[in-house]
Amino acid sequence: MLLVDFLRDKLELTGTHIGCDTGHCGACTVMLNDVTVKSCLLLAAQANNSKILTIEGVSAGGKLHPLQEAFLEHQGLQCGYCTPGMILSSLFLLKRNPAPSDDEIKKAIDGNLCRCTGYLGIVKAVKAAASRMSRGSINQ
Amino acid sequence: MLAGGQSLITIMKLRLATPNALIDINGITELSYIREENGAIAIGALTRHDQLSRDRIIQEKLPLLAEAANVIADQQVRNRGTIGGSLAHADPTADLPTACMALNASIITRSENGSRSVASSDFFRDFFTTALKQDEIIQEVRIPIPPPRSGGAYAKLAKGHNDFALVAVAVQTSLASGDVCNAISVVLGGVGSTPTHAPETEKLLMGQVIDDRLIRQASLKAAEGLTPNPDFRATTELKLKIIRTLTEKTLRTAVSRARGGN
Repeated sequence: MLLVDFLRDKLELTGTHIGCDTGHCGACTVMLNDVTVKSCLLLAAQANNSKILTIEGVSAGGKLHPLQEAFLEHQGLQCGYCTPGMILSSLFLLKRNPAPSDDEIKKAIDGNLCRCTGYLGIVKAVKAAASRMSRGSINQ
Repeated sequence: MLAGGQSLITIMKLRLATPNALIDINGITELSYIREENGAIAIGALTRHDQLSRDRIIQEKLPLLAEAANVIADQQVRNRGTIGGSLAHADPTADLPTACMALNASIITRSENGSRSVASSDFFRDFFTTALKQDEIIQEVRIPIPPPRSGGAYAKLAKGHNDFALVAVAVQTSLASGDVCNAISVVLGGVGSTPTHAPETEKLLMGQVIDDRLIRQASLKAAEGLTPNPDFRATTELKLKIIRTLTEKTLRTAVSRARGGN
């Protein structure tokens, strides 16, 4: 059984989507021990004793994550199918690189396909979230 | 044998492979390392592409390898895929086999009966076929550290940003005084059943003073004797043109790095 099927069918965490099931589209992206992976290219058994972060765990206490807010504000989504994977890949980028350029954002979401937005809104959203998150950490 | 699984799981889904049992080797954390020893860089088989592309030693001493690792598929695949897995899978359009051959890598295998070293030029036998025996796994990839005044570069042309290479070129060269070329390796990926040297190009450059005109001349010979299969992406003729153009571009980068530039 694949990790994505385990998450969706056994744990009923259906925020992680299956887009292509061939490893191309990235809709099933989750974090495995703090690193993004495509959960359709990993057996569930391989995730034994690992820390998994899905979109369900990104927002805390009923409050949207700054990335999720920015995706809403900058129209980083239309149908929303790719969004959970997009958010996880963007989160991975921002953890490594808190102030990415447009090109760095494009490379970071290379493995996530979106058929609606044309990506412009997504890039804008990630940039906006990056500056909001860095301001946030300064304020804290 | 399951390493990163970025190829194996995919081909199992397509029912191209239906193994009765899988052995997941990801728990052998001792197989993940990059270290310098005895004039070589030793890379453990389970080293992920992402580690390879961001490693200081690799970026400094083997920029060609860092570059190749950095253009493999996408971030998620680079986070998971391993160098041992990529070499054992031996997809002729994949990045690391071509890069490792240009760097004259040795592949250290391991079985119950001990280990042996196979030159990368002997390792790739055919499409998805290597010199690995049934009971062997890859333990390490060992790459000699190039002497001072060496330069390497990797470039590929693919249909999409993260697609397999239509054509890939890996160049590693060393210059003696007066810009005389005293080591040259030009390896093409995606043009046959295994990564392939461009012998005519190498012959023209070896022992000669390298300048722009010679690079251009030698690049025109890169496709000599090759007839890459046409596919839905490009005709044979177009592929031959791409080989020549990409070879020229990659040679220029490698030579400029050998001279101390970027």
